[in-house]
Amino acid sequence: MKNDYKKIAFDGAIKNNPTLKLVLGTCPTLALTTAAMNGIYMGLAVTFVLICSNVLVSLLRKAIPKEVRIPAFVLIIATFVTIVRLILDYFLPDLNDIMGLYLPLIVVNCIILARAESFASKNGILPSALDGLANGVGFMIALTLMGAFREVLGRGEIFGFKVWNFTLDFFGTSAGAFFTYALFIALFSLIYGAIADRKKDKAFSPVLKEPNGEAE
Amino acid sequence: MEDKIYAYSTSPHVKTPRTTKKIMLLVCLSLLPTTITGIAFFGLKALLILLLSCASAVLSEMIFNLIAKKDITLILKEFDFSSLVTGILLGLALGVNYPWYAPVIGSAFAIIVVKMLFGGTGKNLVNPAVTGRIFIFMSFQAAVTAWIIPNGDLTTSATMLEDFLGGNLPTLSNVDLLLGRNVAGCIGETCKVALIAGGLFLAATGVINICYPALYIGVAGLFSVVLYGFDFAYFLPSILSGGLMFGAIFMVTDYTTTPNTATGNVIYFVFLGLLTAGLRKATGMESVSFAILLGNLIVPLIDKFVINRPFGHSRTRKEKAAKNA
Repeated sequence: MKNDYKKIAFDGAIKNNPTLKLVLGTCPTLALTTAAMNGIYMGLAVTFVLICSNVLVSLLRKAIPKEVRIPAFVLIIATFVTIVRLILDYFLPDLNDIMGLYLPLIVVNCIILARAESFASKNGILPSALDGLANGVGFMIALTLMGAFREVLGRGEIFGFKVWNFTLDFFGTSAGAFFTYALFIALFSLIYGAIADRKKDKAFSPVLKEPNGEAE
Repeated sequence: MEDKIYAYSTSPHVKTPRTTKKIMLLVCLSLLPTTITGIAFFGLKALLILLLSCASAVLSEMIFNLIAKKDITLILKEFDFSSLVTGILLGLALGVNYPWYAPVIGSAFAIIVVKMLFGGTGKNLVNPAVTGRIFIFMSFQAAVTAWIIPNGDLTTSATMLEDFLGGNLPTLSNVDLLLGRNVAGCIGETCKVALIAGGLFLAATGVINICYPALYIGVAGLFSVVLYGFDFAYFLPSILSGGLMFGAIFMVTDYTTTPNTATGNVIYFVFLGLLTAGLRKATGMESVSFAILLGNLIVPLIDKFVINRPFGHSRTRKEKAAKNA
């Protein structure tokens, strides 16, 4: 059982990273990665909504009829997004302005709906909560990394602190957002591929160590 | 590997002394007049920019190959001057008021991201020099707004083209534009005589087909005339200013990013001409490089739909009937 939890956490945050591996939730990723801090804010908001909606969907999974499950999920998600919005609007209005349109758009964020549909509606409460946390953290890590990359190159700052005077405005533009996203997906595909190759090498017999297979 | 008796390959089996290396050397030669006039007009800063962008292009290709674990002797043997061409083109497409590291970064971006990551020479999706230029253009926006006129004292101004896209007819005569006297702009794009000489040299040696650049320039000029209310006074200035001629002769004619068929090429170059004139009018700034980038992206699409009819093949009656119906 403990192993299962480990697997859920690892799958959600790293192995099936929603942003870099499944390419879900691209809209906030492209729009909000101009700074590293934005990634953390957005990641926190999404993580909160993910955990809450996963728990509620998991609780109600036997009560919701199969035919109307998607509207029901959207209703649950929208409830929590509204809660986040109202809280932010009251306590942190500046942050609310930064996130702007992308905060209400969490309702239609693919990650949350995908987790509700493919995980929470089939699993118990505790695994669902963990799954929500793992996916949210995965989303947050990806957004923060991309935000840091674009912030350093585009503005010469990281988390708002000056690093150098050198800037490439390209990375601050939307073209730079697409470019950075592609670059990160490529980079992580490379890393995942290398890890998979190493696992395969270990799994096979030690005789065929040559990658070209030129052994007699 | 040890018993290599037969060398086998796919068709065509024709041998020719013309290799990629030789073609690229010819392109380098054809860029010589433009380079010389550019340095003559804009001074030593132009030379510095050109040297930096060439060195960065060649070095980044070699470093990428080393990281990809190619043998060093193989790298030197396979060096085909295409990265040098990219470096020169990128350097010529920059103005002299860019900081010194701009050509270095641009060339490295053009070679590594646009060319090598897609598989090297001949496999790139878009023209590396054009993409590198756009990258620099978008990255150093402060340097783009000011251009330098090469007349004794270097003053900055908007380019002739930007002025003229605003609707004013140019203050410079067409002869001045042709010779590049007192024209602000990028290093390589001002002296049209040198560009045309290079283009004719390439056409004479059979590297490019001069009809296609001519088609591109002609369509762009005529469409500008149409856009400015059929005033033919706009024809010559619009083809003689900005980077249209430079792009048409040296950048779009890149083999990798042009369609394979004659029909496809005609479609491609007409499309580019319309796009260039339209974008120039719509944005009020030089947009040849953006038009070329967009054009490059539709090349695979053109190649998919424009296919030469195989010799002796005729469509069956059924297909014809279906088409008529």
